[in-house]
Amino acid sequence: MGVNLHSGPVEFKPQAHGGSVHDGQAVIQPDQGFFDGLNGELTDKGFLVTSTEELFQWARTGSLWWMTFGLACCAVEMIHVNMPRYDMERFGAAPRASPRQSDVMIVAGTLCNKMAPALRRVYDQMSNPKYVISMGSCANGGGYYHYSYSVVRGCDRIVPVDIYVPGCPPTAEALLYGVMQLQRKIRRAGSIER
Amino acid sequence: MRAPAPRFAANDGVIDAARAALGPWLVDAREHVGEVALIVDRANLVPAMTALRDTKGLEYQQLMEIAGVDYPERDKRFEVVYCLLSLTRNHRLHVHVCTDEDRPVPSVTGLWPVAGWLEREVYDLYGVLFSGNSDLRRILTDYGFRGHPLRKDFPLTGYTELRYSEEEKRVVYEPVKLAQDFRNFDFQSPWEGAEYVLPGDEKGAQAQGKGAQTPASADAVKKADAAPDKTAPANAPETKTTESPKQTGAGEPHPGNKAEDKPKNPDVVPTKGGGQNQ
Amino acid sequence: MSDYVDELLHKTDAADPTTGDVSIQNYTINFGPQHPAAHGVLRLVMELDGEIVERIDPHVGLLHRGTEKLIEYKTYSQALPYFDRLDYCSPMCMEHSYVLAVEKLLDLEVPLRAQYLRTFFAELTRISNHMLNLGSHVMDVGAMTPNLWLFEIREDCMNFYERASGARMHANYFRVGGVHQDVPLKLLTDIADWLDTRLPRLFEDAISLVANNRIFKQRNVDIAVVNREDAIKWGFSGPMIRGSGIPWDLRKSQPYDAYDKVDFDVPVGTSGDCYDRFMVRVEEVRQSARIMKQCLAQMPEGPVLATDRKVTPPKRGEMKRSMEALIHHFKLYTEGYHVPAGEVYVATESPKGEFGVYLVSDGSNKPYRCKIRPTAFSHLQAMEFMSKGHMLADTTAILGAMDIVFGECDR
Repeated sequence: MGVNLHSGPVEFKPQAHGGSVHDGQAVIQPDQGFFDGLNGELTDKGFLVTSTEELFQWARTGSLWWMTFGLACCAVEMIHVNMPRYDMERFGAAPRASPRQSDVMIVAGTLCNKMAPALRRVYDQMSNPKYVISMGSCANGGGYYHYSYSVVRGCDRIVPVDIYVPGCPPTAEALLYGVMQLQRKIRRAGSIER
Repeated sequence: MRAPAPRFAANDGVIDAARAALGPWLVDAREHVGEVALIVDRANLVPAMTALRDTKGLEYQQLMEIAGVDYPERDKRFEVVYCLLSLTRNHRLHVHVCTDEDRPVPSVTGLWPVAGWLEREVYDLYGVLFSGNSDLRRILTDYGFRGHPLRKDFPLTGYTELRYSEEEKRVVYEPVKLAQDFRNFDFQSPWEGAEYVLPGDEKGAQAQGKGAQTPASADAVKKADAAPDKTAPANAPETKTTESPKQTGAGEPHPGNKAEDKPKNPDVVPTKGGGQNQ
Repeated sequence: MSDYVDELLHKTDAADPTTGDVSIQNYTINFGPQHPAAHGVLRLVMELDGEIVERIDPHVGLLHRGTEKLIEYKTYSQALPYFDRLDYCSPMCMEHSYVLAVEKLLDLEVPLRAQYLRTFFAELTRISNHMLNLGSHVMDVGAMTPNLWLFEIREDCMNFYERASGARMHANYFRVGGVHQDVPLKLLTDIADWLDTRLPRLFEDAISLVANNRIFKQRNVDIAVVNREDAIKWGFSGPMIRGSGIPWDLRKSQPYDAYDKVDFDVPVGTSGDCYDRFMVRVEEVRQSARIMKQCLAQMPEGPVLATDRKVTPPKRGEMKRSMEALIHHFKLYTEGYHVPAGEVYVATESPKGEFGVYLVSDGSNKPYRCKIRPTAFSHLQAMEFMSKGHMLADTTAILGAMDIVFGECDR
């Protein structure tokens, strides 16, 4: 690893042909030209050309299997975001109970001293590349329990955190937005060396 | 009782019945805000509880809760409170026992197995010992925790905190270090016996020097108000407007804060005609 | 060789089984602290003989946040939101015990509309809690679909929470002396519609999938049978004691707020197994809906907060105009109110059982001691005797039927 495999022009991009499909109206249609171009390329050549980096990013952002690390109140909102109303699986983010199979850990709730070694162990068991979303005030920095004798003042003392979702608890929409922010982050900083 | 709290059976005669059943084991009994509290001799706790459970007319079948309370100023600083419930008589009662760090309280696990964990909890949080509890381990606090956190002399933030050490590759304990201390306000007024000295108060203790200004009396203030104010300017000041940016006090825009200088968002791939994200 | 055969012949009894030269012994497995069926952060150290559970040692405290200590450092009104965070599946019911305890010490009269509103929202909370528990219980024993439907109801409940209090979960809506704000009429009519249409349709559909399902019954009937004596001895309460056949409901026997003005039935189990506990909760949801409808019909107009200005803050609009109100507002939100010295133990029927608050006041503006009596503590303690002799897979069913939430268990 450590080698940047990106080379050559990026072909996996919307092509600039076809008429403008939207002209400032309220309803914005999907970019028809993009799909037409892609379709044409596929039927013409039988394959698509892209960079490995783009491919990896696409795969990583599109299947963020998250480790269910529900600790406290936020766990309920974490379940809610996965239930039919918010349906996080449409972003490819499916709950996994096993750290070996998951890409992102959502630390949902107060992290207490007694639990902290277990959290770290689960994090260590996850395979690279791994991401952490800290959900709720308690996981972000102790929150309402900051001054307690038994609470870790922020789960970033134990594991490196990528995205902080504020709130007590964050609403299901907020967590969903957090996951989307993580996807953006992966897209932006994504290289295969992580 | 005006408050809409749970209404259980009346307390009439409960203390008399308890006194008859417990005899000398009962140290004191009181009734406050509709709740009966019995203070029981520590050594005879188990027979007293058995009597409370089995005597006809008392019948407290369920032990709902054991609470510890710490009164550091008392000789026997801990109070262990047993909350009992009678399902048949629909009545509640608490039984208090006093103890200190060394003298153990007899365990009631023989009467109610539920007492096992409840006693463990009181032991964990207060350090009260229970003789006869075969499994007196810590229950709520961390593995290897030192001290008893709910004692009044235990600091709120404790003594240790946790961090993952990259060098040792494990979670390590460290002395607690807070970025900002817990702010504890007290609201005692200086007239009602606050114990601290307010800044400036120390001057009151010193003898007043000669020639020091005496505060104006109420009479003088009245006179001063009545006299027309000669120093006031004759014409009113200009009316305040915000016609130019200068008058708003907003200042010049920062040179770096221009739209074209903003870093480009790498996520947003500009599509023809703006795309969805723009 | 003959020695070896002799050895085998002598050793192959039930007390000391061997397979060849390997002796079989009980082994210990560690369930949790991170396990999807543990309903949070439970660690069970289990000793198994094959698949039969011999001994269980539950390790709790993995979510011990020091709530009781923190409450001692906060004023009475600042301590209230901690109760939301105890049992995060039924936040308003946790507040209920606390506000009743403080009101009892203050001997504060609460307006009738506030009492009805608290009853009303406590029952909404009960529905919401049971949706989570029934759904996850069903999911723990292998069915997925009912959970998806029950969470739709929960989502509705959360929306109602949000419309009443501004927060989806941690409402902080019940206040000492009443409730924080009156609800808009549209919210009440919407909930009434919901009670008539959406709740029964979704709920009955979901439950009809499992209530008579053969697999569900195989997993729950005759699992962890608790008789009446054990239920009393182990300090059971709520659906656990009712599942064991004791008709004990604090809402009925020790009514608080407006519970003595509404009519409802107390469901009771017959055999005391996991299935009974499940069905008791199912029936409680229907009874809760019934109570809510009666509350809507009976709820009078009027104030929703006590008028004692030394305890309850004035309305914000009033605070903007009246100097007196401004002073009260400032004092109540900084110093808070002083509660007369004394000690009370107030318990209410939370969805999980008896949730009590033992409150000691020393006459200052902060509680001297606030002991929280969690429902899960005594139930979880009984886990060992309930699951002894059952299969490993049954422990999830037993846990699911107990309805344990670690926020309140560990505090």
